[in-house]
Amino acid sequence: MIASRCLGLSTRRVALAGCLLLSAFFVAGCSGNYVVRPHYFFDSLFRPSPAIINGLGLTLGISVISQILGVVLGVFAAMGKMAKFRPFRYAANIYIWIFRGTPLLVQLAFFFFGLSAAGIFKWPEVVAGPVIILPEIIAGTIILGVNEGAYMAEIVRAGIMSVDPGQTEAAKSLGMTYGQTMSRIVLPQAARVIIPPLGNEFNNMLKTTSLLSLLSVFELYNTFSVAQGTSYASFELFGACAVWYLLLTTIWGFIQSYIERRLAKGTSGAPEAGPGLRARLFGQRPYVDAGSSGLGGH
Amino acid sequence: MTVEVSHNLLGAIGGVPRPETDVVVDARDVNKWFGRLHVLRDVCIQVRRQEVVVVIGPSGSGKTTFIRCVNHLEKIQSGRIFVNGHLIGYRETPAGGGLPIVGGLPIVNRLPVVGRRTNGSAGAMKLVEDKEKNIASQRQEIGMVFQRFNLFPHMTALENIIEAPIHVRGMAHDEAVAMGRALLERVGLAAKEKVYPNQLSGGQQQRIAIARALAMKPALMLFDEPTSALDPEMIGEVLEVMKELAREGMTMIVVSHEMGFAREVANRVVMMDDGVVVEEGTPDRVFSAPAQERTKAFLSKIL
Repeated sequence: MIASRCLGLSTRRVALAGCLLLSAFFVAGCSGNYVVRPHYFFDSLFRPSPAIINGLGLTLGISVISQILGVVLGVFAAMGKMAKFRPFRYAANIYIWIFRGTPLLVQLAFFFFGLSAAGIFKWPEVVAGPVIILPEIIAGTIILGVNEGAYMAEIVRAGIMSVDPGQTEAAKSLGMTYGQTMSRIVLPQAARVIIPPLGNEFNNMLKTTSLLSLLSVFELYNTFSVAQGTSYASFELFGACAVWYLLLTTIWGFIQSYIERRLAKGTSGAPEAGPGLRARLFGQRPYVDAGSSGLGGH
Repeated sequence: MTVEVSHNLLGAIGGVPRPETDVVVDARDVNKWFGRLHVLRDVCIQVRRQEVVVVIGPSGSGKTTFIRCVNHLEKIQSGRIFVNGHLIGYRETPAGGGLPIVGGLPIVNRLPVVGRRTNGSAGAMKLVEDKEKNIASQRQEIGMVFQRFNLFPHMTALENIIEAPIHVRGMAHDEAVAMGRALLERVGLAAKEKVYPNQLSGGQQQRIAIARALAMKPALMLFDEPTSALDPEMIGEVLEVMKELAREGMTMIVVSHEMGFAREVANRVVMMDDGVVVEEGTPDRVFSAPAQERTKAFLSKIL
């Protein structure tokens, strides 16, 4: 399964990573002019400052909202790509072409700095109750989401195409409109195909938010980057930063495999359920009860 | 396997819907091409109220395409199909006044290509594809049963049946559930209410598909080879439901190779070959004394 690849946990690997970390400390300590101060590493992991917690929250929040925006835009772009009405197809194709064809970093710079410098558009700050959401966070989240939508479009389109055309015909013959057919019949079935790659996209999104440091959003990476600027403990702090990201993506990996196993249950033609948690952690094959699977009509 | 099909199948949906006119389906000079392939050639078929018409013919003869045109799952290039007096899938506009039509929408900046097949025959009116909403509302009156059942796999048997009544007809949930249960009972599957389609046999799935179509209280039922994908021992249970439906006065067009069913239930058999209606008549007449060579040849292969 795809999720196990991005999860990639096993006892051996964890041990290996630990050894590498220790030897890295050792090598760095021996090199002479860099003094390793391990407490920077361990403190930011085990006694994270409010700034780190805040950065963690921002990274998570921005990832979730951008991903949701990306899925919504992806569904519309996919439907646009498959529309009979040509202008919809053109619009969807141009959108996908531009946002997949340029670097995200350039998109961030252009739509945040470029637009406001030219006086075309200034990103507003949003007041949500007691919280003021800064313009760079708004801009970053939206641009990430729009960029993600272009990638999701292909994933959603593949999902929609995987649904038997007979389903659409049956829905149409019952008098459903295009919108009803899509939302009630096709998309729920396409979800089975969409969700595994969607999980990988979200894994990516968690890490890609670090690019928002360009807009001075104090997400996880930028928080560490700033801390590094005052302490010069770049080795320890960026190392700890990487561990935080690894933690996020690992936890997500568990959630993803849980969702995929739930999804594979009781649906015909669904991919086999992925390996269980134990199998993923320790590389053992799960016990398969031959009698409990493969029942059904045809 | 015998199936208890209780009487009064249509009672579950409140009796036979009364079509507005005596002629339910009126297809006139229908022509259809798939690319260069001329699959329907000037097909004229009329179906009267409470009539059961069985369409037979070799594969590729256009019979399935024809019934798919009746609820506009397929476009036609010329001719008219009326169901209950309403033109299906199209609006008529005066020829010449409109814009050239590509894919159902007027394209403004496009010169008509010389030699393009025009919609409509030489008459003064031409066909423009109707709005999607209008087509959808026309389809509510026409039930269809497919060869491969096409039940919604993410819904239980009951959910399959009540989906359209609730979301298309706007029926109250409780009322729809009551009707859905009654229909399940009528097709002999009351116990399977909470079961998903992949846990049902083909025959059971097809009976639920029939119940799903009936739940919309259609004035006309189309059956597209409803037993062709079934194991032999399951054909009987589906035919039994269809016979019951016919006895209760549902107007039906059935594409089928089940000659026994045609003999027993059909008012009329229509023989199609190569996109043309070769002959039609009562089943007795067509089966025992076919007038056309092509019918004889087809029947000798199949009987």
